[in-house]
Amino acid sequence: MSARQLLLAVIAGLIALFAIPLLTDNDYVLALGISFAAMSVLAGGLNLIWGYTGLLSFAQVGFFGIGAYTAVLLVVDLGWSLWAGVAAGGVLCVVVGLLVGYSSLRLSRHAFAIVSLSFALLCAIIARDWPELTRGSMGIPGLPTPELKLPGLRWRIVDPADYYYLLMGFAAIAHGLIYLVVTSRLGRAMRAIKLNEPLAQSQGVNPLAYRLLALSLSALLSGIVGGFFVFYLTIIDPSIFDFYYTETMLISVVIGGPGSFWGVLLASAVMAVLPDLLRFTTDLRMVLYGVALIAAMILFPGGIGGWLYRRRVARWRRPQPRDPAKSTP
Amino acid sequence: MTALLQVRGLTKKYLGLTAVNDVSYEVETGAIVGLIGPNGSGKSTSIDCISGFQPADGGQWLLDGNDLTGLAPHRIARAGLTRSFQTVRAYDELTLLENLLVAAQENDGIGWLPALLHTARVRAAEAAATARARDLLQTVGLADYADAPAAILSYGQRKLLAIAASMMSRPKLVVLDEPVAGVNPTMVRRIEAVIRKLNEEGVTLVIVEHNVDFIMNLCRRVVVLDQGIKIADGPPGLIRSDPRVLAAYLGKQGAEEATQRG
Amino acid sequence: MDWSFYGQLLLNGIVMGVIYALVAMGLSLIFGVLEIVNFAHGEFYMLASMLAYFLTAQWGFGYWGTIVVVTVVGVAVGYVLFEGLLLGLRGEAFERSILLTMGLSMVLQNGAVFLFTTTPRMIETPLSYRNLQLGELRLPVSRVYALGLGIAAFIALYLILHRTKLGKAMRGVAQNRVAAQMVGIDTRVVARLAVAIGIGLSGLAGAALAPIYAVHPLMGFAFVFKAFAIIIIGGLGNVSGAAIAAVMLGILESFSGGLLPLAMTDAVAFVAMIVVLLLKPQGLFGRGVRV
Repeated sequence: MSARQLLLAVIAGLIALFAIPLLTDNDYVLALGISFAAMSVLAGGLNLIWGYTGLLSFAQVGFFGIGAYTAVLLVVDLGWSLWAGVAAGGVLCVVVGLLVGYSSLRLSRHAFAIVSLSFALLCAIIARDWPELTRGSMGIPGLPTPELKLPGLRWRIVDPADYYYLLMGFAAIAHGLIYLVVTSRLGRAMRAIKLNEPLAQSQGVNPLAYRLLALSLSALLSGIVGGFFVFYLTIIDPSIFDFYYTETMLISVVIGGPGSFWGVLLASAVMAVLPDLLRFTTDLRMVLYGVALIAAMILFPGGIGGWLYRRRVARWRRPQPRDPAKSTP
Repeated sequence: MTALLQVRGLTKKYLGLTAVNDVSYEVETGAIVGLIGPNGSGKSTSIDCISGFQPADGGQWLLDGNDLTGLAPHRIARAGLTRSFQTVRAYDELTLLENLLVAAQENDGIGWLPALLHTARVRAAEAAATARARDLLQTVGLADYADAPAAILSYGQRKLLAIAASMMSRPKLVVLDEPVAGVNPTMVRRIEAVIRKLNEEGVTLVIVEHNVDFIMNLCRRVVVLDQGIKIADGPPGLIRSDPRVLAAYLGKQGAEEATQRG
Repeated sequence: MDWSFYGQLLLNGIVMGVIYALVAMGLSLIFGVLEIVNFAHGEFYMLASMLAYFLTAQWGFGYWGTIVVVTVVGVAVGYVLFEGLLLGLRGEAFERSILLTMGLSMVLQNGAVFLFTTTPRMIETPLSYRNLQLGELRLPVSRVYALGLGIAAFIALYLILHRTKLGKAMRGVAQNRVAAQMVGIDTRVVARLAVAIGIGLSGLAGAALAPIYAVHPLMGFAFVFKAFAIIIIGGLGNVSGAAIAAVMLGILESFSGGLLPLAMTDAVAFVAMIVVLLLKPQGLFGRGVRV
């Protein structure tokens, strides 16, 4: 597909997505769309840090929840505007992400995986055990209707359609930003680090710098999406840090293929729609996710992206007419 | 004139063993210097230290008068010292062209924001790098595979790609770690030709090798290590007849190597 | 507050630390030998506690009978886990190993929730109400037993690793896999044993803790979070380091629990881990002092 065709396809896709609330006011359809928008940003962030720079991060759900708690507390307790609260949440996530990343990456990427998971668990525990700040396990129900004020525009976000536009709009921006990074030479350096870290270092690439860049960006996007999404939920409690979110994004990236932008986007869409259609109870769904993860790791390594890559390699390995006289067997 | 690379008193210890012991040598601009020695003589360890991949326990090294001692690998690469690896490394999933472009991009001083926004300066730098990458692929004979993933390359072709990659950033000095180990004779000749060509274009090289004949053909100066100590340093003719070198090789690797060379 | 209060905190901390050590030593041993972080480690500990609950409360096993059965089952599960899932995974497949064990953790934890619900269960035995009086300090007998079991397990592990041929082989593999293979060590047998011992220790910990705390399917998750911090503080792959770090953390938590708000106590393990990473990335004891 040429760049032009791709651009047209993306524009057509966006128009179709944004037309949905005009065609239907079916809450279920809109809810699926909202959940896809939010989860796809989380999966895209995980893909950026894991798929491109090779760091398996479990911290994403921590950023999501910290973004949500920060926005809610600033809006509810201090009367900040939604914009400011969400932005502050995003910035806090970057700071926390840099702390987690910088400290653990001094040791190894193994340590990063461990510390990131510990971080996510700690977030959930603190949300439960610090009632003075977070209201503990009961959380804060009945979040107020947020308003977005732009010059000359006052938008009260009430209906599912409003949330649909808000989250789908942010998802479009977030994926656009991720796409810009991964298709630029920054993305090329990140993939180089993942594929062969010592080689990248020997060519002047600083792995820590690029990894912290990817981590900051994914923390920012995950934090912001958490801030928007939580008002749609209308309640915040420690379950915003639930492992369910981590599993959903992990499976999206595993099926889509770490390092495959379109593969992960597609898998996020499937993951937003399919499990809901299957209607399992939550516990059973989580068990099936676990089985799916194990099966995917064993049977379908590399996901959709890996499959495309193997096809590409096979195509090049086939004898070709323009093949030069090989001097090696 | 001061030498391009000056290594002074390089020392590296492992668990009480001294792998590299107070080694000093210099490399003149434009030279091809061979670094040889029997197994375990400290050749690879010494270049791992110089390129920043292992911390040295003592010594100092300067490139073009700049002290590189103790810098991280990426800083050393940016200062103009690049290397290849004994276990050939490539970015399998990137195309050959991308493999080479990565090797150049950290040296043009362009920051992250312009890179993200594809500014005119970035486009110009990328175009220049692409042109150089295509040239280098032509030189090493891999131009037909420019858009293929590196995974499809044979072992020898990967060695050629690694040599091209180490040249991409127009470094002051390139260290090749066993460029012909495990490669068939035809490919050895091709790699040798590539190295000569690059040297004629002004690249200074240090070559670490097991293949003594290869080094003796290619280099006008050879440094010999044995058990971490520099035992000889001079032109190939003198090295061949140096009694300490003969003793090191005969003592370590037996007579068959001597007959091979004889 | 007098000295007996602090003495009590210290004692509680040591007991908790020894239990942490049982879980963390296994995790560290598995990492040292296989270069795999077993993200499902906490679930085995949870399942062991569950099994202990059913053995004692439903099927009338005694304390020691339960300990033995659960530990033996743990060792057997470790064997199966290795042969079924972990075989063939090594360092370069690190992310794969994490995801596999993570998937396993999801299956085990949510499967347990599905089967047993999240309701906490208490084991009521005659042991539950007996205390050991040391001057003004009081220690429930179940905790004294847990302490003794932990110390005994550490000594046994030490003896296995230092006195038996297989244990020495295990240390060899942990220090240098390639060299170990070259001298003819069967890495598969060694790795399998490491996993079996690791899971067995988790089983022992679960069984020993079952009479002390409520048993429920989510208990493993919170526990493994501490164990991760411990193996980083002690130095990844360093079994003795993990044991020492575990006891240190147990004491630290016990004191902060007595003196600080709850949320800060939760954060102690994480903060300690981050501080150690910033100051001494190789861990307090590096990779030097292994068991």
